[in-house]
Amino acid sequence: MSDDLLAEATRALRETESISEFEARATRTRVLIGLQQARVRRRTRLAFLLPIAASFVAVSAWGAASGKARAALERIERFVGVTAAAPTSVKAPAKRVAARPPTPTPDPQPAPLAASRDSEPAPLAELAARGASPAAALPSASTAARRAEREDPTLALYRVAHSAHFVERDPARALAAWDAYLGAAPNGQFAPEARYNRALSLVRLGRTTEARSALEPFARGAYGGYRKAEANALLERLERLEP
Amino acid sequence: MTNIGLSMVTEQALAGDAQQADELVLRLQRAEPSAVAEVYDAHHAAVRAFAKRLLGDAASAEDLVHEVFVSLPRAIRKFRGDSALRTFLISIAVNHARHHVRAAQRRRRAISAYGDIESHDSSDPEREARRKELAELLTRALDTLPIDQRVAFVLCEVEERSSREASEIVGAPEATLRTRLFHAKKKLRLALGTEGLR
Repeated sequence: MSDDLLAEATRALRETESISEFEARATRTRVLIGLQQARVRRRTRLAFLLPIAASFVAVSAWGAASGKARAALERIERFVGVTAAAPTSVKAPAKRVAARPPTPTPDPQPAPLAASRDSEPAPLAELAARGASPAAALPSASTAARRAEREDPTLALYRVAHSAHFVERDPARALAAWDAYLGAAPNGQFAPEARYNRALSLVRLGRTTEARSALEPFARGAYGGYRKAEANALLERLERLEP
Repeated sequence: MTNIGLSMVTEQALAGDAQQADELVLRLQRAEPSAVAEVYDAHHAAVRAFAKRLLGDAASAEDLVHEVFVSLPRAIRKFRGDSALRTFLISIAVNHARHHVRAAQRRRRAISAYGDIESHDSSDPEREARRKELAELLTRALDTLPIDQRVAFVLCEVEERSSREASEIVGAPEATLRTRLFHAKKKLRLALGTEGLR
């Protein structure tokens, strides 16, 4: 009985009249409007998100290239206390300088020659160009500098030589220290600076022949424009003093 | 035209159809309104009929049809061309049917509470009334089934699809579908007997 009824009811449901043409058209319009709205929403999202994403990428690239991203990260680390014992007085740009040993004093003058006034050494000049204060470059002030030295031990030698040359102003000690650095890293990151400062130490010690041969490559332009003018001026002075 | 010539023409026509179908799928993936409209015009009747039979409610069926075609550009990414596009559309309808079934049940309860009787024109009003009554009775009985059994019954019994096609639509093995159908029919017989129509 219920089998027949089920079959009959199934047939009745199968023969249920379809929706009217009007409703079908109305639904078609609803579908197309819905798609259009979805497309507009997608475009609006893109119009907002693309510039934001592009800005983020550009800022990230700039930050990575200029080193400011790293500095900002370290600042955040310090703020949240991830980096232990980091002094609060350290300026962020010091990070960038970490690769180069810091210089605490300004422009020293070579003793024998007033005209051969030694301009600011390269690391300090770079520091100044980057807007870092000398305080930021103090060895004890920078954890990054210590980290850099751990990565490259020859940097410690450079720092000792730098200190003897510019802080203690002891040409004999400075010469020995520059020789030590150049012995350890003849093609090191700061080899040109070390060679030039070594030449200055030789001038100060009155070892003019050695000083001449040390300055000649700079005067010739073997290091590009680096210290070329100063080396020529010094050689000229040496020539005048001891022809 | 020889048999060989006829078969070549048929093959060329089939290749052309396949290319057109591929292009249509690509256009659908790009959510081109004209492509969706084209598919709607070709298949809306089948999707609507299935929705109406599954839900037993015209308004809910329209909502389901709307949802199927609006979600088509996203859903078409899963279309691999193994089945006909119409079969794929029905499978989308099955996937979206669950909450529409509930909505249709609520609407049916509300209508029966207010005793709303639709007017209808027919050449044989008595026969039409009987047919409508039976359809409504079965729809109410279908409301007592789980959605999977309901879908299996509508696909296999009401729409008279093969179990293979129905299994493609629901994405379940044929044996599973047959089991669902068996349980559905058993429950429906019981429900119709309890109703005591006759």
